[in-house]
Amino acid sequence: MSGGKEHVEIPYQTKFGMVINLDKCTGCGACMVACMAENNVPVRYDESDKLRSITWMRVYKLTNGKPFPETDVCWLPRPCMHCEGNPAHGFSPCVSVCPAVATDYSRQTGIVSQIYTRCFGCRYCMGACPYKARYFNWWDPKWPDGMKQYLSPDVSCRMRGIVEKCSFCFHRYQRAMDKSFYQASQGGREDTRLLEEEYQTACAQACPAGAITFGDLLNPEHTVYKLIHATYKDKAFRILEKTLGTRPKVYYVSSKDWVEAAADNHTKKVAKAAPGGH
Amino acid sequence: MLDKAIKGSKLYWWWLFILFGAIGTGFLAYLYQFTHGLGETGMSRDISWGIYISQLTYLVGVAASGVMLVLPYYLHNHKAFGKITILGEFMAVGAVFMCLMFVLVDLGQPMRMFNLVLHPSPNSVLFWDAVVLNVYMGLNLVIGWMVLQCEKKGDVVPKWVKVLIYISIPWAFSIHTVTAFLYAGLPGRHFWLTAIMAARFLASAFAAGPAILLLIMLALRKASSFHVAWDTLKGLAKIITYAMIANVFFFLLEVFTAFYSGIPGHQETFYYLFTGLSHHGHWYGQLVPAMWVSLILMFTTIVLLVVPQWRNSEKVLPVTLVILVAATWIDKGLGLVIGGFIPNPLNEITEYAVTLPEILITIGVYGMGALVVTLLYKIAIGVREELENKPRIIGAAEHAAHGHAH
Repeated sequence: MSGGKEHVEIPYQTKFGMVINLDKCTGCGACMVACMAENNVPVRYDESDKLRSITWMRVYKLTNGKPFPETDVCWLPRPCMHCEGNPAHGFSPCVSVCPAVATDYSRQTGIVSQIYTRCFGCRYCMGACPYKARYFNWWDPKWPDGMKQYLSPDVSCRMRGIVEKCSFCFHRYQRAMDKSFYQASQGGREDTRLLEEEYQTACAQACPAGAITFGDLLNPEHTVYKLIHATYKDKAFRILEKTLGTRPKVYYVSSKDWVEAAADNHTKKVAKAAPGGH
Repeated sequence: MLDKAIKGSKLYWWWLFILFGAIGTGFLAYLYQFTHGLGETGMSRDISWGIYISQLTYLVGVAASGVMLVLPYYLHNHKAFGKITILGEFMAVGAVFMCLMFVLVDLGQPMRMFNLVLHPSPNSVLFWDAVVLNVYMGLNLVIGWMVLQCEKKGDVVPKWVKVLIYISIPWAFSIHTVTAFLYAGLPGRHFWLTAIMAARFLASAFAAGPAILLLIMLALRKASSFHVAWDTLKGLAKIITYAMIANVFFFLLEVFTAFYSGIPGHQETFYYLFTGLSHHGHWYGQLVPAMWVSLILMFTTIVLLVVPQWRNSEKVLPVTLVILVAATWIDKGLGLVIGGFIPNPLNEITEYAVTLPEILITIGVYGMGALVVTLLYKIAIGVREELENKPRIIGAAEHAAHGHAH
C-alpha cells in the first residue's frame, strides 16, 4: 500500500480502468468539457493552442491516410492510461522517472496519482509519458470572471509550474469509499467493495454515445470486466501496449483494423494521426 | 589564495565586467520568467524540455575536460599533463555548476527543489544525475583546491586527496553515463532509446571538453603569463582526435541500425533532423540546416585532426577546435534533446522555437559558469606566478617548470 496515511487496510484489490468503444465515439468532445469542469482545469484566453492548454482528456482524430473514396476517420478519446508498467507492477514510465515521488502508483486501485504540492516541475514525466497525457501549468491558472464560483470543492486547484494529469476522478473514488465504509459500519452493506455505479468518472457519465465504460477491471460484476473478458475478448487493444509494454488500463475497441496501427510509430504506417481533434 | 582573484590587470577587470553584465541580464530575464511562469519559454506539451536541458546535456560533456587530463597523468604517469590537470578540474567545476544552474532555471517550482532530498526516489535517473553531478563538482573543487594549496606551500599532496583523485576518475564516467540514461531509458522515444547513448555521450564529451580547455589554454598563452608547452597541447589534441572519430563512428552506427532495420520510429527523428518531415501538408525541418552544418563540420574536424601537419600546426589547430566545439554543440546542445521529441510517440509533430527570455537566461548561466572558471583560473595562475618568482620547486611544480619552455 502506498503512502503511510492510509489507515484502513482494505482486504481486496481493485484495478480501475476503461473500455472505450471507438465505433460509438462521435468526437463531440463532451468528455473533455465534463472533465475540465469536474477537475477544476483552468481556462486559457486562447484555448485553441493545445500545446499549452490543459486537457486531461483529449480527443484525437485519426485517419487511415487514404485518398477520397477510402478515406476513413476515427476519433480517439485519450485520458491518462494509468499504466501498470513493466517489468513489475507499478513501474509506469512516469512513476519510474519522477525524482521526488510526486507521482505514484496505487496498488490498491491501480490509479497513478499526482501530488501537486510535491511536484517541482522538472517535466521528466512529460518526456517519459508515451501518451502525452501529462500537462504542465505554463502560467498561473485563471478562470474567467464568475467561473470561480463553479469550482469543485473536492478537487484542489493546481498552481503554476507543476505537472497535472487525469486522476480517474479520484475524488469521486474517495467520496464513494467514505460512503461505503460508513454504510458497512452501520451494517448497511456486507463489504466495502464499490458497485459499478458508485464510482464513475465524469467523462464516462458525460459521453452521450455511451462510448466510455468505466469500472473495476478485477470485478467480474463490472461491465468493463465483461467487455474485456467476453464481449470484446481478444478484440480490445491498448495503445502502444504491443511495442512498449506499458500495460495501460484504458482499452479501445474498434471494428476498423487500421485504427490500432495509427497511433503506434513502431508499426508500419498504414495510417496517421490527422490534424484537428480537440 | 582567494586574494589572487581580486588583483588583476585591466583586461581581467573588463572581462569580469562583461561577465557580470551577462549574469545581470540573465538574472533579470530569470526574474521575468519566475514571475510569469515557464509559459515565457518556447517549450510546450510536446517539447517539454528545451534549450536549458540541452545545455545541461552539452555541458556535462564539457566537464570531461577534467578526467581527460587527470586520467593520463595519474593512471599513465603522463607527466606533461601535470601542470594543467588543475585547469581541467577547475573547468569541470564550472561546467557542472552550469549544468546544475540549467536544471534550476528549467524547474517550474524551484522553491520546492528540496523535495528531491526530502522525497528521493532511487527509481528516477534524474535523482541519480543530481547526485553524481553534485559529487563530481565537489570532488573537482576539493581536489583542485587542495593540490593548488600544497603546491603553494610546497607540501606533498595528502593521501586522502590522492584517494579522491582516484575516485574522481570513474566518477567522471558516471556523470556522462547517468546523464545519457536520463534519455536512453524512456519508452516511446526511439531516438533516445538506444544502448549506445552513453557511449556517444562519452565520446562527444571527451572530444568537446578537452577542445574547449585547449582553446582556453591557447588564449591564456596570449593573455596571461601562463604558458603551456606546445608539446603538451599536442598530446591533448591527439586525445581529441580519437574521441571525435569515436563520436562520429557511434553516430554512424545509429544511422545503420535505424535504416537497415527499417523501423519507422527509429528513422523518423533522423529524417526530421536531416531531411525534414512532411506532415499534413506542412514541412517541418527547422533543424535541418544546422544538422547538416554540424555533420559537415564534424567530418572536416576529423580531417583536420587526423592529418599530423594540421593537427600540430599552431595556426590550424585553434580553428579546428572552434569548428569542433560548434559541431558538437549543434549535435548535442540542439539536435539530440529537441530532436528526440519529434515526432511525438503519437506521430504528431510540434516544433520548438526558443524565446528571448530563454536566450538571455542561457547567456546568463554561461556567464556564471565563465565567472566560476575565471575566478578559479585566476587563483591557480596567480599561485603559479608567485611560485615562479620564488625559485622553490617542489612536487607538482616541477612539471610546471619543465613545461615552461621559453
